[in-house]
Amino acid sequence: MSFITAKNLVRRFDLSDPWIVRKLTFRPKKFLTAVNDVSFSVEKGTTYALVGESGSGKSTIAKMAVGLLTPSAGTITLDNHNLNDPNLSPQRQRLMRRRIQMVFQSPYASLNPRWRVGDILKEPIQSFDLIQGTKNQAKRVEELLEQVGLSPSDAKKYPHEFSGGQRQRISIARALSSQPDVIICDEPTSALDVSVQAQVLNLLKSLQKEFSLTYLFITHDLAVVSSVANRIGVLNKGALVEEASPEELFTNPKQDYTRMLLNAAPKML
Amino acid sequence: MKRFFASDFFYDFVRSPVALLSFLIVLFLVLSAVFASVIAPTNPFDAASLNLMNGFTPPMEPNPFTGDVFWMGTDDQGRDLFSAILYGLRISLFVGAMAVALAAVMGVLLGLIAGYMGGWLDNLIMRFADIQMTFPSILVAMLIFGVARGILPPELRDEMAITVLIVSIGLSEWVPFARTVRGSTMVEKEKEYIAAARLIGLNRWQIMMRHILPNVLNPVLVIATITLALAIIAEATLSFLGVGAPRTEPSLGTLIRVGQDFLFSGEWWILLFPACTLLALALSVNLFGDWLRDKLNPRLK
Repeated sequence: MSFITAKNLVRRFDLSDPWIVRKLTFRPKKFLTAVNDVSFSVEKGTTYALVGESGSGKSTIAKMAVGLLTPSAGTITLDNHNLNDPNLSPQRQRLMRRRIQMVFQSPYASLNPRWRVGDILKEPIQSFDLIQGTKNQAKRVEELLEQVGLSPSDAKKYPHEFSGGQRQRISIARALSSQPDVIICDEPTSALDVSVQAQVLNLLKSLQKEFSLTYLFITHDLAVVSSVANRIGVLNKGALVEEASPEELFTNPKQDYTRMLLNAAPKML
Repeated sequence: MKRFFASDFFYDFVRSPVALLSFLIVLFLVLSAVFASVIAPTNPFDAASLNLMNGFTPPMEPNPFTGDVFWMGTDDQGRDLFSAILYGLRISLFVGAMAVALAAVMGVLLGLIAGYMGGWLDNLIMRFADIQMTFPSILVAMLIFGVARGILPPELRDEMAITVLIVSIGLSEWVPFARTVRGSTMVEKEKEYIAAARLIGLNRWQIMMRHILPNVLNPVLVIATITLALAIIAEATLSFLGVGAPRTEPSLGTLIRVGQDFLFSGEWWILLFPACTLLALALSVNLFGDWLRDKLNPRLK
């Protein structure tokens, strides 16, 4: 049974000049199709990885999945509910959005430098009204910090007091504090040291087991993909060119583009 | 507090003669303005206490009729200039500070909205700022002052003069705040923590106030200090031109205007002392603001 499904997803960006310039130069409107007719589905509790080079549209799909962008055409459904249903009240939409959270690429830009870690983690709890009472909220923050391998006393610190890997753990804890069903991971390890990458990936895997989370993993790093994904989709220029399990993809790629991508990855000798 | 004294900022501050001196002068002037009623020998606003016989007493010389001695002499109405300067300083500083506060609040809010919302709202606010910048700010202040006076009933005019002054100077100085804040807002709003805040369902207003505002306030302090010098001079200019603080509640600018009438008849002190005070105040605030800018935000140079 598929849990999160994208159907014929399209996203176009309007890159036209201003109206007056267009009229003076007699040029038509210009569009860029970042995502072109992409369909895939993810089972509950599994990890689906979208791989592709820069500009292949993978981040655009991530943004549409969490609602930062609206699709130009096509739908994304969670548990058979359309995320962009125009008939949904803003209140209902907000509640649905809670179930899909995101871990971002940059551990430096994704945390507000002026906020204490405890406040960063508390904000989703308060915004969605998940836990009442300051004492209970503080307890939940401590619990979250422990779940991602940090100490409860870190709640009083500011983000700049942490390393990149620790910041990414805070980012994961923030995503967890909304109690989501799905977490979109937008290149969560690409800004980290190789030694720290493995730790963060292991944390994500153990959290997946513990809370039966569904991951949509956006990455260009095939080593990361092979260690976490249950299913892989290869994107090229906005279109899904191949979809397979990791074993299949790494041993027997069907498309030229996939083969090129696999060969382009640096290998350790 | 201990951390502040151990900081680089404090280290450089103590070792910069210009910064230290200008800060001490500003501090001295602010304290004498705050405690004017304690320091001043007479109350210059109390018309009943003035003795016309004391008019035009030169500084440090006993008055030929009453024998009173005044540090800085008296003006045409026998008002003690030293007291008048202390109270005038108080009005000048108050008007300047309130005008800067108004300009800062307005500029920061409009800059935040323009930067975050973008689109036609951004265009509207910033084009309005551009238009206002093509006029000298003193002209804008005079325009607002004139309009406000025209609207107010005559019996309120003197009472509201100071408020009108604050509003007109404040409205003419908001643009630098708005421009700086807009720029930083446009940088901040693209960062991922703003995306994270949108994901948890915060509305635009909450994101602007809780997430962006604390991150764009840094340069505001510097601009506020530099604008304070401008606002004090603007107030003095308006009062000098006779459209600012009324004669019954003279600011430094009013005192200079009064003194100017008597300069050529030999009563030099009525002009000199208020002018020197204004010069010391505006120069010190400006120099300190410049140092602060170089120290905290070299990019603004």
